[in-house]
Amino acid sequence: MAVLELTNITKKFGDFTAVKNMNLTVADGEMVALLGGSGCGKTTTLRMIAGFTEPYAGEVKIDGRVMNKIPPYKRNVSIFFQNYALFPHMTVFENVAFGLKLQKLPKDEIRSRVEKILTMVKLTGLDKRYPRELSGGQQQRVALARALVTRPSILLLDEPLSNLDAKLRVEMQVEIKRIQKETGLTTIIVTHDQEEAVSLADRVIVMNEGEILQVGGPKEVFDYPATPFIADFMGFSTFLHGTVEEKGADGGRIVCSGVSLAVEPAELKTLEKGDACIAAIRAENMEVAEGFGQNVVGGHIRSLTYKGQRTRLEVEGCFAEDIYPAIHDYEKTGEDGQILIRLPKEKIRVYKA
Amino acid sequence: MRDDRVNLLCKIVAIVSFLFLIAPLVIIIIASFTPTAYVTFPPKGFTLEWYEKIFSKDTHFVDGFMRSLQVGVIATVVDIFLGVTASLAVTRYDFKGKGVLLSFFTSPMYVPSIAFAFVLLQVFSRIGGVTGMWKILLGHIVIILPYIVRNTVAVLTTFNWTLEDAAASLGANPVQVFFKITIPLAKPGIVAGSLLAFLYSFDEAVLSSLLSSPKFVTLPIRIMNYMELTFDPALAAVSTILIVISLILVVLMEKFAGLDMFLK
Ligand SMILES: Nc1ncnc2c1ncn2[C@@H]1O[C@H](COP(=O)(O)OP(=O)(O)OP(=O)(O)O)[C@@H](O)[C@H]1O
Ligand SMILES: [Mg+2]
Repeated sequence: MAVLELTNITKKFGDFTAVKNMNLTVADGEMVALLGGSGCGKTTTLRMIAGFTEPYAGEVKIDGRVMNKIPPYKRNVSIFFQNYALFPHMTVFENVAFGLKLQKLPKDEIRSRVEKILTMVKLTGLDKRYPRELSGGQQQRVALARALVTRPSILLLDEPLSNLDAKLRVEMQVEIKRIQKETGLTTIIVTHDQEEAVSLADRVIVMNEGEILQVGGPKEVFDYPATPFIADFMGFSTFLHGTVEEKGADGGRIVCSGVSLAVEPAELKTLEKGDACIAAIRAENMEVAEGFGQNVVGGHIRSLTYKGQRTRLEVEGCFAEDIYPAIHDYEKTGEDGQILIRLPKEKIRVYKA
Repeated sequence: MRDDRVNLLCKIVAIVSFLFLIAPLVIIIIASFTPTAYVTFPPKGFTLEWYEKIFSKDTHFVDGFMRSLQVGVIATVVDIFLGVTASLAVTRYDFKGKGVLLSFFTSPMYVPSIAFAFVLLQVFSRIGGVTGMWKILLGHIVIILPYIVRNTVAVLTTFNWTLEDAAASLGANPVQVFFKITIPLAKPGIVAGSLLAFLYSFDEAVLSSLLSSPKFVTLPIRIMNYMELTFDPALAAVSTILIVISLILVVLMEKFAGLDMFLK
């Protein structure tokens, strides 16, 4: 229910710049994910939006109004803290009801709203417990309930699901998404998990060292990372150095360690024939081939790790670099450890080296 | 085998020290009921005569008690305000000279009270016209402050300040944050410090004896004066009452300060 605008915001701690010249607009009812390594300034950004610290430079605007000098309690911005920040002297119920009591709502309404949200986060029956009597995942859900229950105009979630088991995590993702859509809540979610980012958010923002590296739709960021660095962060496992061999309207080729690979012509847009390049591909996008063909390379399995549905292989001898395919339902082929791997043409990203 | 022996030794030392501490108290309490005109143990019979005596007008013990209570309560209340404010200032913000400021707030603890009393006496005589009550009160306000500051700072140094942010983002203004979050969470330290401070003030004798005026005499001074003239079991009786009061306060303190759930 609000538009959030960050213009050129910068945050310094002494000489250290935690956030550099950041520009971002989050539309009304939009959910964006902030993705980035540890210490890249995600929490700092949220703290400036919530009003706990003032930017060193730049402006935080909500619905066009500059908020820099507005204290947190007047912003109607709710925040889920990475360390939960539950009030230790209050029960689960009191924690969740805290914001509602401050809004001076009638007792009945407070009770029903708290109960409803506790049901949603699957914590019914725990309302009389103190935070120290809850497991980490339960505490996390109390914090989530507390942030959601006040119906803020902007919701900030700092790694809200990091402590939950896989099943609960997916359930909570669905609930967050549902509430967010139902109430048209402008939301920023911070996460380390690229899959969570792409499955929840309308847009994904990749940050590093206080700067935004890429902003895009989930599919775009997931499949077309702008740089090898982002690709690495987005889970691309294999990186190959090479040169552009051929650039044409309907096909392109690159050569990596003497092996010629076909790539989409669009990948070579900014490159010229003979340019050094880096090819990147996601582990799950490589597959076992039955025989030689386009983009099929032969190698030797050095090691293999069973990962449930997929088996992660370390294959040497195809290129100068090892490649790391994750093969669906992998069954051992041949005693000698030789294997043929296909790098599907449309899945290869090519970057300027 | 060896562990057991160490264990046993520890137990014996603990028991002996406990007896060493508790025995005089027990003896005084029991002796306060003796009908003899001098303190004796074991008592030769049972009487409440000495309790009657301490409550009678001519010992002025009740008067002294009220004055001590008055000074103790006022000094403690004033110092709760000063001490909590000071503690918040030195724990919440990072600034140069923070450590120095903290040592300053706790310095009266290390200055011998006789030296401090001497200084105060000089100051008051310069100003002139300061009544006994004010002299003692001001002196106590200074000397008991460290107990409140120390205990409150101890709690606040482990305080999770994000909790204040959390409350603010849920719509609490600074005053609400202070009374709903900060104070309740710092309470164990404040309560423990206040009780210690009050007890210190209540039986403080060195400073008070130098600063008291004939019109304003606190209980410890009354007892000292009484002791110079007479040495009868009334002293044991008044000691017993003081022991009981201290005990109640210490139990209360344990109850509040012992609740470490708030410290998490
Ligand atoms: N109060 C502070 N004083 C000094 N440096 C700080 C302070 N808060 C954060 N930093 C620094 O700013 C940088 C960004 O911190 P921030 O908490 O925003 O990281 P983050 O992206 O949230 O990381 P994580 O994913 O580990 O939570 C870090 O290098 C951190 O050390
Ligand atoms: Mg963080």
